Amino acid sequence: MDTAPQDGKIVRIHGVHKFFQRGSERLDVLNGVTLDVPEGEFLGLMGPSGSGKTTLLNLIAGLDTPSQGEIWVGDQLISTMTEGQLASWRTRNIGFIFQFYHLLPVLTAYENVELPLLLLPLSAAQRKQQVTTILELVGLADRMYHRPGQLSGGQQQRVGIARAIVTDPTAIMADEPTGDLDARAAEEILNLLCMLRESLHKTIIMVTHDPRAAQRTHRLLHLEKGLLVEQVNA
Amino acid sequence: MKYLKLIFRNVGRNRLRSLLTVLVTVVLVFVVTLVWSVLWLLDQVTTEKSQNFSAMVTERWAIPSRLPFSYADPLSRGAAHKPGDIQPLDSMTWQFYGGTLDAKNFTRENIIFGIACEPEKLATMMDGLNDLPAEQESQLHEDIAQLKANRQGIILGHNHLDATNKRIGERLKLTGIGNFKGLDLEFEIVGTFPAGRYDTLAAFNRDYYNNELDAYAARNNGRKHPLAERSLNLMVLKVPDRAAFTRLASQIESSPEFSNPAVKCETMASGISSMLESFRDLIWGMRWLLAPACLVTILLVIANAISISVRERRLELAVLKVLGFRPYQLLILVLGESLLLGSVAGLISAGLTYGIINWGLGGISFPIGFFDRFMIPTAALWWGPAIGGLASLLGSFLPAWSARGVKAANVFSKVA
Amino acid sequence: MILVLFAIAVAIPLVLWSIGKIPLSYNLRNLTLRWKTTVMTALAFTAVIALLTVMMAFVNGMKKMTEGTGQPGNVLILADGATDETFSNLNVGDLTEIENLPEVARQNGRPMASRETLLVVNQLTPDPAGGYKRRFLQLRGIEDPRLSARVHGLRLLSGGTWFSEAGVQEASAPESKSDEAAPLIQAVLGEGVAHELGRARSEEELAVAKNRDRLDVGDTFLLGERRWVVVGVIDSAGSTFNSEIWAKRSLAAAMFGKDTYTTLVLQTEGAATAKQFKKFLAEDYKKAAVNAQVETEYYKSLSETTAQFSYAIGFIAVVMSIGGIFGVMNTMFAAISQRMGDIGVLRLLGYARWQILVSFLLESMVIALVGGLLGCILGSLSNGWTANSIVGGQGGGKLVVLQLAVNADIIATGLFLTLLMGLLGGLLPALSAMRLKPLDALR
Repeated sequence: MDTAPQDGKIVRIHGVHKFFQRGSERLDVLNGVTLDVPEGEFLGLMGPSGSGKTTLLNLIAGLDTPSQGEIWVGDQLISTMTEGQLASWRTRNIGFIFQFYHLLPVLTAYENVELPLLLLPLSAAQRKQQVTTILELVGLADRMYHRPGQLSGGQQQRVGIARAIVTDPTAIMADEPTGDLDARAAEEILNLLCMLRESLHKTIIMVTHDPRAAQRTHRLLHLEKGLLVEQVNA
Repeated sequence: MKYLKLIFRNVGRNRLRSLLTVLVTVVLVFVVTLVWSVLWLLDQVTTEKSQNFSAMVTERWAIPSRLPFSYADPLSRGAAHKPGDIQPLDSMTWQFYGGTLDAKNFTRENIIFGIACEPEKLATMMDGLNDLPAEQESQLHEDIAQLKANRQGIILGHNHLDATNKRIGERLKLTGIGNFKGLDLEFEIVGTFPAGRYDTLAAFNRDYYNNELDAYAARNNGRKHPLAERSLNLMVLKVPDRAAFTRLASQIESSPEFSNPAVKCETMASGISSMLESFRDLIWGMRWLLAPACLVTILLVIANAISISVRERRLELAVLKVLGFRPYQLLILVLGESLLLGSVAGLISAGLTYGIINWGLGGISFPIGFFDRFMIPTAALWWGPAIGGLASLLGSFLPAWSARGVKAANVFSKVA
Repeated sequence: MILVLFAIAVAIPLVLWSIGKIPLSYNLRNLTLRWKTTVMTALAFTAVIALLTVMMAFVNGMKKMTEGTGQPGNVLILADGATDETFSNLNVGDLTEIENLPEVARQNGRPMASRETLLVVNQLTPDPAGGYKRRFLQLRGIEDPRLSARVHGLRLLSGGTWFSEAGVQEASAPESKSDEAAPLIQAVLGEGVAHELGRARSEEELAVAKNRDRLDVGDTFLLGERRWVVVGVIDSAGSTFNSEIWAKRSLAAAMFGKDTYTTLVLQTEGAATAKQFKKFLAEDYKKAAVNAQVETEYYKSLSETTAQFSYAIGFIAVVMSIGGIFGVMNTMFAAISQRMGDIGVLRLLGYARWQILVSFLLESMVIALVGGLLGCILGSLSNGWTANSIVGGQGGGKLVVLQLAVNADIIATGLFLTLLMGLLGGLLPALSAMRLKPLDALR
């Protein structure tokens, strides 16, 4: 795999373009985005609907590949990886938090958090230790064996966060993590994210429409029509 | 009418699911149609007619039935002696014969099974040959005339004609097998039975047969052929109605002329029914295990498909309720979709089965008793849609009832 | 062969389970969550496999019967050109000559030869729908039942005896109106035909019967115009003799108008001698033309009917399987459509495409296995059921009462078929799930 010196930057994006083909029409979503994210930063991405922020998040997470440009995460050039390489890379390097949690409804909180660990060469005892530690960290030790249907929205999102960090990933991607929560739950989630960043020195990139969430970030980037047009330090 | 458009649209919403459901129904209705066709024909031939039917006189106790040929004449008069005794409208003697085309290596395919009879009776006394279309009837009469004129003529069923690899006008030699060993007969093919009728039968002159039986004794120092004393296998008597049959049967069975061996007089339906008794359990299995298993499977598959469809459309059904649709209307919608799928699939299946089996394959080959091939009856064209429709109605009733009971408030609260 | 196929079929899901990383509990819980759909899909498999099991049990019963009949050391003689006993007429003079050939085993100076006349006769029985109907029975006329029993390797169930030299016994009470003084004809019955004849008894007769399941020693029945009495029941389960009535040949043949022998069965030293003797009679024996076969081979040849039924069953199984496959395909497509979010998450977490494929294939096979197992269990209940049929070769047939027989091969076939249906039915949906892009699935 391609490697390069990091200079303390955990994510490096150079001249990234991304377009989608809709029939005969070409839709340019990102038009030459360049960005560096230092390790341990809590970065916010804001912008109107269709600005390309979720697309940028997905590219960094290795869920998609750019039409042009380079993306480095850690010391890996992910923009040239194959789908199979990206899949196994994601397990160890990316944690993803969704707006609607996307927990598997038939699995318990414990089992949902354990899912990514099943892809790693860990024994059952090792997995158990990691899962219980993480669930304690997010404050759900007493809800381990509950299914998503038995948890509140905030609790489900905490399970989502636990699942995102259980493999000790290089970076955490959060796509509107408070979008489906009431104010109090949203506050709790944001506190949790900040705590994780501080205690585990995690790099978090968050897409959000929520001004309260935006205030918690170290740096806030504004995307419009596929370009970074404004940088606001929160 | 207003439902139809909605029903069609809904069926088309998930074409893959609709297609799979239709395919399952087509395939299983095909099996049910095959089974019911066999059962239908067997029921037809074992159902007593009320008039214009044939009575069959055979040996009372043993099979194969073997009667002295001297019984033929008195039986043709119904053993009538006293004034007031009833006589049959017509009669026909059957003398069986079995011979092979290859004496050294005979197989099921090269064995010809035939009956020696009076040629003219073929047109009047054989079921299925007395109600032919004009062209076939005319041809049959021509063939019968040839048979009458040519003592060594033979009319072959189509399967036998194919097996001999010969054509009309060519000669044919058969070597007697089994009970007919020692009776080697030579024929000239003068005609065939209409296709689909008596494909596995042959018919020839009884005079020729009886002469050959006599000639056997002359060739064997006066030793008669084992069949000579009892070469008549059965007699078919035509009677106008049930009452006449009952009287005739009583006359025959009580007549001292037919005591050694004793005879029995029964309707054709009854005779065939007795023969099928050996297959009673097989027929039961077809009727009560095989066909129902297929029907249950159709029902389950349709029920499953509709159930999934209803579950996926709860929001939509809730919207319809908000718009003013009543519960019974939602029930009709869902049942309608199911009925459309099931009956269309059934119709397609029945049509394909009819075409492929009857025109393509010439019938179902299922050797049960002396039946060889079964055709799909025209009635099957409505069985198919009926089976598909009924199975779909039954299978989709519970999901449709569930659709009817969707509560809009519950659905929208979940969505919010 | 069946067990090999079964082993392969079982190995596939086991291998899939071992290499799949997505926990099986995920699939199982989804199946219980959508339990109605799961049950309906599984029951479709149950119907197919249960039916298949019963049909195969029927054919297996026929096969066991035809292959379980006869002694490998016996040679069965029919008339030349006769393919079936009922169409055979043997010359007495020829029989004596053949019996005295050196290959025929002897006991106390007597050749171990059974001269027989097989007749098919009909019997009037009450029709449950009203009136009477006729059924056909096999009656074997025997000269010396003890000798014939030794030749055929048969014995009686306890409590019975072979019929006497005369073959008749006095009636204890006038049994028939027409022949009030006529003696009863003694008969020995196979268990199957004893069961069949026993079914025609009235409630009153059953109330006083020695054995409610079948006719037993002392019971009488009407056949022809005479009343017959059971003096013994042959221990004959699993052979075609199970469906025969044995009686004194001179009485039976005269009654039903067959004055020739149909069959001569000769016992030899063993299987090898029998084969040689058969060859000698077929090729080198010039004094008479006969159709000689090793007895076991003759009965085995009757399994031609079995082959025909097997083809019919195979055809039905394939056609109904198509129904099962499309049914489970429907279910799995629906399941995948509802769980696209799950698939997206799994792919995002790093699960590879093939693992998604494996997971959904396993789910489909679990439904099939559950339904199929239940089908095997239900179908197995038919083990021991009795059924009438005709087994036959060319131009003839034997009426038999057979027992359906479920064995390991049949269960293995059922399970193999159900797993195959599950695999084939789940393949297309699983492939479609596998091809989903994570982002598309999450949208």
